[in-house]
Amino acid sequence: MEFKVQCKRKRSHFKNNDAAPLPLPEEGLQYEGVFTGLSVDVTQPDQVKSLYDNGCFGKGSKSRGGPESGDPDESLRLGLEEACFLAYFLNVLQIKDLEGKVIEWNDFLNFSRELNERFMEHLAAYVYLKSKYWVIKSGIKFGGDFLIYKQSPRHFHASFLVLIQRPNEKNHFLAKNLKGVQRVAETSDKDVLLLSIEQSTDGESKTPENPSEAIEDMCIQETVVRRFNYSSFVQSKRQKKNN
Amino acid sequence: MNDEKLANLVEIVPKRGYLSPNELIKQRHVEIEPPRVGLKRTHNENSPEELAELEIAYANLRTQLSVPRIERLAGRSLATYHKDQQVVEVLKKDGKFEHFGYSHKGKFYLEYYEALFLVELNRLQLEHEGMILSMEQNYNFLLGPAACDRYNHYLVYSCLSRLGYIVVRHRKPEVSRDDCIWALLEEKISHKPIVDDIRTSSFFNELQSQMEASTQRIISQEFQSQHGSTEFKYNFGKRKAYEEYSPASSTVRKRVCLPTNQSLVDVLKADCSYFKFKRIFQKFDIVKLAKTTATSYNDKIKLNIIFDLYLPNEGFRKSLCQTPSFYVVILPMGALFPTHNDIARLQSSVPLLIISVSESKQIQAFLYYIS
Repeated sequence: MEFKVQCKRKRSHFKNNDAAPLPLPEEGLQYEGVFTGLSVDVTQPDQVKSLYDNGCFGKGSKSRGGPESGDPDESLRLGLEEACFLAYFLNVLQIKDLEGKVIEWNDFLNFSRELNERFMEHLAAYVYLKSKYWVIKSGIKFGGDFLIYKQSPRHFHASFLVLIQRPNEKNHFLAKNLKGVQRVAETSDKDVLLLSIEQSTDGESKTPENPSEAIEDMCIQETVVRRFNYSSFVQSKRQKKNN
Repeated sequence: MNDEKLANLVEIVPKRGYLSPNELIKQRHVEIEPPRVGLKRTHNENSPEELAELEIAYANLRTQLSVPRIERLAGRSLATYHKDQQVVEVLKKDGKFEHFGYSHKGKFYLEYYEALFLVELNRLQLEHEGMILSMEQNYNFLLGPAACDRYNHYLVYSCLSRLGYIVVRHRKPEVSRDDCIWALLEEKISHKPIVDDIRTSSFFNELQSQMEASTQRIISQEFQSQHGSTEFKYNFGKRKAYEEYSPASSTVRKRVCLPTNQSLVDVLKADCSYFKFKRIFQKFDIVKLAKTTATSYNDKIKLNIIFDLYLPNEGFRKSLCQTPSFYVVILPMGALFPTHNDIARLQSSVPLLIISVSESKQIQAFLYYIS
């Protein structure tokens, strides 16, 4: 009954031995992205390649996953949390608005909160999982908030479907919702990871001065819910006994 | 008036008889010729062969359906239902009752779900005031006329029993002296709350005062002469033997439903490529895992453990106090699934099986793993 994380390898022959888990450009250099109102777009082809190869950030604007269409004007779309992490935690990305003005942390936070009222929780979960070496992608196609991969989506199937909630929220614990999301995850060999994110102080009203301050008073509870096949369990125990 | 009523009565003559041994043997394994094999026919030909064949097929079907239902006389246990106390008392046992039932004041009783399960398997005849109860009456008496949780509990019981599990009513594990000491230590060291069961146990007050006294002694450094360190010999051999005796796997298993205060998704930190970038990643280790403390348990326990589950062939006996393989929690109708804190509050060292019965009476079991 011990908990074991499932990591299922993909049948792919893709190899990239130089890939780093984070894009770390040379001293003084920064990637450039434009905030379009929905995502942060990186357009320069060498930057697109570097960002996707090192840490699998973003999604190709003309592809299903990474930028693979081969089209020269394909851009890399970074999600809000990804862009925020690259720009203000790792300091390797400069985010500009459509007019070419650099967006500072406070403004970016305000824009993101307008788009997603739980942006702070999502960001905290993103940084939390990132520090544990996971590759994080959007979970929208499986009905969750994030999908987390070992190494890269090119090599592994996602191990967890992550759902994010506040402590007093009960929506994910409704029987039909939990069973539904569990079923979707199970058919694709994933586990459901429920992250309950609590803020110890009331951080809603004020705008934090710097990125780490914004999330340092948050703490996370992890719950994994797995379906238990009781009929095959008892049968397997019996067979072991007979053998 | 009475005559009129009597005239309306229909006398039921039971169609049953008793067979002699010879007749009984004759009735065993009545062989019926299988239907014709070959290609399937798609339309009627009305040929004499076809009609003859049909006739044989009908005759076979008739013999198959009219095989008498033979039952062993008195092949069932007998029990009576006491309506006032709502209990099922066993009057006559047939066969072994291994893990069924319980004794009380010299009488043997069955739980309502056990009684209904045995009735459904045709192993028990339940009577009330000298009359055999019908199936409908059984359901009515044992589960109650209105929809309630009892029905779901019975459903889970019967489903798990049929699969081979040994299902018994949940028994609270007895709190030992060791459990008390561990709970006190964990409270002191990691501020884990003490469960009510331990708090109310007979050892608790004594141990707590003992521990207080020793803490005071350590703080004030007042050693008595008989506890002098010169006479103390540490037996390393014993310790080694103890370490070898306790296998690591059992400790892992023990912690299934206890809050571990450890992340479940830390596995990738063991990756060799992680070590190269360890320092960068550690910089982002800003958001912390919530520690489960006493303050998280401020509201009442709402999860009830209903059954204990034992695996077959593991030598279950009622008289022994064995640790079950699972505790079964059955979610009440329309209830939410338990949260992290609900599970952590139970402090169960045995894996919890959360079973939900859907509106279509489909049973699904879930296991929880918590940080």
